[in-house]
This record gives sequence, structure tokens and C-alpha cells, in this order.
Amino acid sequence: MAEGKDPLRYFRIEARELVDQISAGVLDLDQGGGPEPVARLLRVAHTLKGAARVVRQKEIADRAHAFEEVLIPYRGVDVPPAADAMRELLRLNDEIAARVAELEDRPKPPVASGPDEPAPAPAPAEVVVNPRAVTADLDELLDAVGETTARMAPLRAGCATLERLHRAAETLADQLRTGRGTTPATARSAAERLAGKLGSAGRRFTDAVDQMQRELDEVRARAESLRLVPAGSMFTAMRRAVRDAADAEGKRVRFEARGAGVRMGAHLLGPVSGAFLHLVRNAVVHGIEPEPQRLSAGKPAEGTVTVEVERRGRHAAFRCLDDGRGFDLDALRDTARDRGLLPSGAGPPDDAGLLDLVLRGGISTSPSVTEVAGRGIGMDAVREVAARLHGDVRVSSTPGAGARVELVIPLALLSMTGLNVESAGMTSTLPLDAVRACVRLSAQDATTAAVTGRIVYDGGAAPFLPLAEALYAGTPVPESTGVGAAVVVKGEAGLFAIGVDRLAGTSALVARPLPDLARASPVVGSVTVDAEGNPRLVLDPDGLAAEVAGGRPAGAGPAAAVAPLPILVVDDSLTTRMLERSILESAGYEVDLAASGEEALEMARARRYGLFLTDIDMPGIDGFTFVERTRADPRLAGVPAILVSSRAGAADRERGRAAGADAYVAKGEFDQERLLGHIRRLVVRS
Amino acid sequence: MTVAGRVTRLREEFDRSFAEPARVLECETVELLAVGAGDRPYALRLTEASGVHPDRPVTPLPTSIRALLGVAGFAGAVIPVYDLAALLGHPVPRRPRWLLLAKGTPPLALAFHELDRHLRVPLADVVDGADPRGCLRGMVRLPDGHRPIVDVPAVRELVHRLAGYRSVPEEAR
Repeated sequence: MAEGKDPLRYFRIEARELVDQISAGVLDLDQGGGPEPVARLLRVAHTLKGAARVVRQKEIADRAHAFEEVLIPYRGVDVPPAADAMRELLRLNDEIAARVAELEDRPKPPVASGPDEPAPAPAPAEVVVNPRAVTADLDELLDAVGETTARMAPLRAGCATLERLHRAAETLADQLRTGRGTTPATARSAAERLAGKLGSAGRRFTDAVDQMQRELDEVRARAESLRLVPAGSMFTAMRRAVRDAADAEGKRVRFEARGAGVRMGAHLLGPVSGAFLHLVRNAVVHGIEPEPQRLSAGKPAEGTVTVEVERRGRHAAFRCLDDGRGFDLDALRDTARDRGLLPSGAGPPDDAGLLDLVLRGGISTSPSVTEVAGRGIGMDAVREVAARLHGDVRVSSTPGAGARVELVIPLALLSMTGLNVESAGMTSTLPLDAVRACVRLSAQDATTAAVTGRIVYDGGAAPFLPLAEALYAGTPVPESTGVGAAVVVKGEAGLFAIGVDRLAGTSALVARPLPDLARASPVVGSVTVDAEGNPRLVLDPDGLAAEVAGGRPAGAGPAAAVAPLPILVVDDSLTTRMLERSILESAGYEVDLAASGEEALEMARARRYGLFLTDIDMPGIDGFTFVERTRADPRLAGVPAILVSSRAGAADRERGRAAGADAYVAKGEFDQERLLGHIRRLVVRS
Repeated sequence: MTVAGRVTRLREEFDRSFAEPARVLECETVELLAVGAGDRPYALRLTEASGVHPDRPVTPLPTSIRALLGVAGFAGAVIPVYDLAALLGHPVPRRPRWLLLAKGTPPLALAFHELDRHLRVPLADVVDGADPRGCLRGMVRLPDGHRPIVDVPAVRELVHRLAGYRSVPEEAR
């Protein structure tokens, strides 16, 4: 050590990885058995033994050897290890893990530790995410970098071609200047050849650059996702906790895990896994009944504890489920009464009220306190984590069928695959896992869908909304090529479709929350940064669903909606006034009419309106001025205003926006549905 | 002047700049940016800004806050952009070209239309005075007229109110 060289530098990394494999392998063996896991475990233990001997870590080598000895009788036979053998494997696994962990805590080799002193079994209160778990991700990143580097070759070749073409152009220019060795005809054909070659070189360059751009996007997304850890990294410790608790209780319990691939920041996964270790232990000890009881209840002898991780929009949901007896609600009720937690005079609390009490702490779901659970700590831990991570906890229980605890936390960074869509000149991204289908729409289909607000999909009619209307709610929608495709999305209340101009491929991305001061409509879930460093909106399927349903929260029917305030139509043309009134009245709105801006201002001050719909060109004060004056009046500033005009120029739209109009509808493209869409979204309800 | 003459002069200036003691300004000065927002002249205190950027793409956001233009990317961070003219109560004829990163947290960029020039003015030329609307603080006297000075912290306050933002204690984050 005098040279300062650390001989254990590489061993620590390798041992850590091997220990992880052993821990997972032992638990696999415990649940499955069979020749394959045995052979794999033997290989890993053997590797560890060899490596430990090289660096003179006798204790680790000896334990790895003992581990092999226990396993050898089960090699190649299809008999699961006996319970004693299993216990011994787990013990050795713990000891090896403890020794390896010790090496990591103290980079210098221990000087005076008794070789036979038993190592304390690790008690993981919080799962530390293994930095080596990112190896596979690093490999993928390196692959992507390699792929990108490979794209340099065509560019290099292109540079050489360009140089050659440059020389050819100079030669040609020389020939033309001196007029020697060339005729106009040959010069022209030389120039044409040159132009052709330049054209194809240019196309190759464009292709190569496009390709590179895509590869670099991929590299960036992979590098970003390295900041995130898969949820699966916490499952091994949970399986082990279930196994140990079941062993201590003499029960047979299977652990199931779902959603290992969901990625999130390690700062979230650490605390959650700590709390869930308590939950799974509780589930085994207090949830799962003893075998005879299960059998007499018609349940399988083996109990099941399941942990599920799922991404839901910008939240992650963690669930712990068991198929045990459920919470003992009567016992809870008694405890609550004894502790004076129930308000005096009130009747006995209902089940939901009781579970709420459990959640608020103070009473345990367990009838007795044991070594591993029953102090109400499990629930406390979950509650504390929820508070720390700004999450929510929900508890439910079905007597005789099991209990379920769910923790939902908001995600700061989230890795996902997105479907990029273009709409009214803006590219935004939909989480691909919410997308069910993409349908190409002809101009006629698009019009029909926009007018009816529905699209036929899979034999049914799904609600439809052009995305531009959701993205530019309340502001004029920029000119666009028009809707060319519909994306069918799964929302909480069923399928719906959004209309987009163009699909722009999929990409891996890391979504982050909108910044604090950027308060956006619920249509936007999060934001990501594109290859040029500019923000790109990530749409929220549930927010979109609500917008498609007419801005009402999903589930609320039209009857439940609050009645809109009347609409004031301002236009100097009688025909237009009447036309607009008939459209609005048939859509169920109450309408007042004004023939000039002055009259409208007077009426607006005399009655509460839900919206102003005004023409621009009128004698007296025009529509812009009317809108400006209402915006300047504190009593009227809150009433949305829509400008309707035969002027369709961008300058007029901009002027309307400047005046404070919430939407701009050109008469030339007058479209009842679009107008009603704006009104539905903007109108103030009483 | 010959090239040799210029070289000699530059050399002398270079040497002199080392020989002379660092100059101390006789009076205290304020550094300001003269800007145009919504076709009106304003000044911004340079000490209240952490950067000024032209022509940065702003991704529009669907929002009910009229002054919120959208979000822009700055070195990998996503920062909300508010229209200064709209915050000061002027109708907004055009999209602003310049972004000023306001000091403080959370991150905030203010967009304005023109960057007229950078000014260093004696403190005496700045007239203090409260503004009824609350987003201006004092005026600066300039040869081409007076310019109200935008109170960036007060504008930030207004944005916080509009966005319904309440600061979270550090330990709760």
C-alpha cells in the first residue's frame, strides 16, 4: 500500500456485481429451483472465489467455497434445495455481501479484524442502487456513440468528393477565362456534369447529416436516461425481505414484481423502496394467513405478495398487494375507540374512515407486535415517504381477500419513448405507451372529424379534437397545412383521438416537469429538450382527454356542467348577427345582439356576459377598440372576446391578439364547429 | 498614419495601460440597459439581470396567463418566458426579440422588443420614485428623454402572483 496503489480497486467492483447476481440467484432458486439457476449460481460463486483468492480475501473466498459445497448436490438434478440448504445459502450470501460491503466502506484492507468474527447480516433500510446496474445502459450508450461515429464515414467521403468537385470547378473556370482547350458546348456540358455531381453530393450530405442528427438524438436520450434507475433494482431486496419474513413465520409466500423497467431518479426509488420493505414484511406477517387457514378458505396454500410499479402520466404508482386476510377492521375499530381516536358522539366509523385512520398513523393494522412488523411502522414509513416526495397514499382492504397499499408520487425526471407530432407549426410529443393507433386522414375525413367531433375507430366513434385547438386554446391558431392524421390515445375514460398535421417519428426522451412559473393547461404534462436545446412539450393523455371532452373533467356529463352566461354578438351586419345568433342558439347559448361597438359597451356594462363575439370593421369604434376597451375595464376584462372578421391576414390576427382577443376566426374560413369549439372552451359559466 | 506609426502607437498604449494605476471613477454610477418594450422606452438595471440573449426560440404554451409567452431552453434548462410589455400593461403588437434572464429563483426570462444601448450613468441622474403600478422604480435622465426604470424584483413578484407560485422552503424540496 506504500505506493498508494489499491489492489482491491477492481475486485470491489467485480465482487459487488457478483454478490448482486448471487443474491438474485438465491431468491430465484428459492422460488423456482431447477438445474439452470443452480448452474448459474455455481458459476458466479466460483468466479467470486477465484477473484477473492487472487486479492487474498480469504474470508470471501472461503464463504464462496462453502456456498458451492452446499449447491453441488443439486447440480443437474431437478430437485429444489432442502429448506436447510436454502437457509445456509441465504446465510452465506449475507455474509459474503457483508464482507464485500465492508471492503467498500473501508478502501484500505482491514488491519485487525478477527477472521472468524461473524459478519452482521445486512439490514437494508433503504436500497442503495448499485452503480454497476447501469452497466447495460452504458453499453447501450456506447453502442449509440459507436453508431454515430460510424455515420462520420460518409461525411468524410463527402468531403473528399467536395474537394474533387471544387478542383473541377476551378479548372473549368480557368478554361473559360483563357478560352483555351474548350468550346462553349464542351464547357456547358462540363458545367452541367459538375452541377449534377454537386447535386448528388449535396443530397448525400443531407442524408448523412439527417442520419447523424437522429443518432445524436438517440445518444443524448440514452445519456440522459443514465440519470435514472430502473424500478427493478429494488425488487431483489424486497424478495429477500418476503423470503426472510415468510421463513420466520413458517409460511410459504411467493413474491411477484411487475414494472421492473420503469425508470426514475434514484432519489425517489431509495426512500420508496425503504418504505415498501416494511410493507412487504407486514403483508407476509399480518396479511398472509397460516397455511391451514388459507386452505380452509379455499385459497392456494402459498400466499402471494405483489409489488407493482407503473408510470401514470407524470406520476409513478407503487402498489403492494397481498392475497391474505385483509385488515382486521373490527380490531382496528376497537383500537381506535380505546385510544380515543374517534370523535365522541359520532357513530362507528365506516371502513374507509378506519383505513384513513390507519394511514394517519397511531394504530397498527396488526393484532400483535412481532419481531418484524406490527408497530404501525410500515404505514408510518409510507406516509412519511409520501409527505417527503409530495405523493399520495391510498389503502384499501377486502376482508378475506387481501389488502392493497398504493403510493403515487410525482416524477421529476422520466424516461419514455415519445411519438412526435406536428400541429400548426409546433412539434410536441405524446407518450408512446398511451398511443393505440395512428390513422391517416384525407382532407375530407379531417373535415368530417372536425365538424362532428368524432372519428370512427375500431367499430366505434371516438371523440376527436384537432391538437392545434388544444395547444392554442384562447389564442389564434397559426396557419397550418391542416390535419393529416389522427392519433388514437387511451385516456382514463376510454379512447379518444387528436388531429395532427403530421407524424414526426418516435424518439427516446427524458421528460421533466414544467418550470415553476410556467403554468400551463393540463394538456401539457411535462417538457423535454430537443436536439437543438429548445423545449418541446410532452402532452398529458389525461389532460388531453379532458380537453377533448370539452374542457370538462372526465366523467362529468353535459347535465352536470354549469350553465354558460349569455353571449354578446357585436356586428353591424344584420345578416351576420342573425346567422351567428342562430348558430349559437341552436348550440344552446343565450344570445344578445348589438349593432355597434358603442351599443355593445353599454350593454356589456349593464349585464354579465360569458363571452363577446365581435366583428372588426364597424362604423364608430371597431372590433379591436371594443376589445381593448373591455380589456381596460376591470369589470369586463375577464370576459373572453373572439374576433370574427373577413380580414384573414397575419397582421390582423396579431393585432387582435395584441388588443387582447382570446381567439380570431376568419369569416372566409368560417366554420361553425371551430367557432363553437372556441366558444365552448372560453365561455364563462355562472 | 503609416502602419509602422500605428503599430508604435498601439504598442505605447498597451504599455501605458500597465504603467497607469487602475482608474477609480470619481462618482458612483449605475449600469443600465436601455430597452424598448411595447414601443415604449424603459431602462433595466444590469445588476438585476444574469444574461441577455437575442432571437432564442420560445416554445408557446397553452396557458391562461396572457403574458406567458412560453418556455425557452438555456444550457439544457427550461425557463419560462414572460412578455415584459404585457406585464407592464401594454398591448403587445409583436413578438419580442430579446430575452433577459432575471436574477433570483425560480428561473425566469423577461422578453422585450428592442435593446437600444448599454448605459453607465452617474447615480445623480437616477431619480428615485415609487410607481403606482408597482413594476417601475424611478427614472433615469438621459439626453434623449427620461426613461422609467423597470423594477425587475417587482416584476418577478407580479409573475409569481400570476403563476400562483408560492416559494417552497428549501428543506421541503
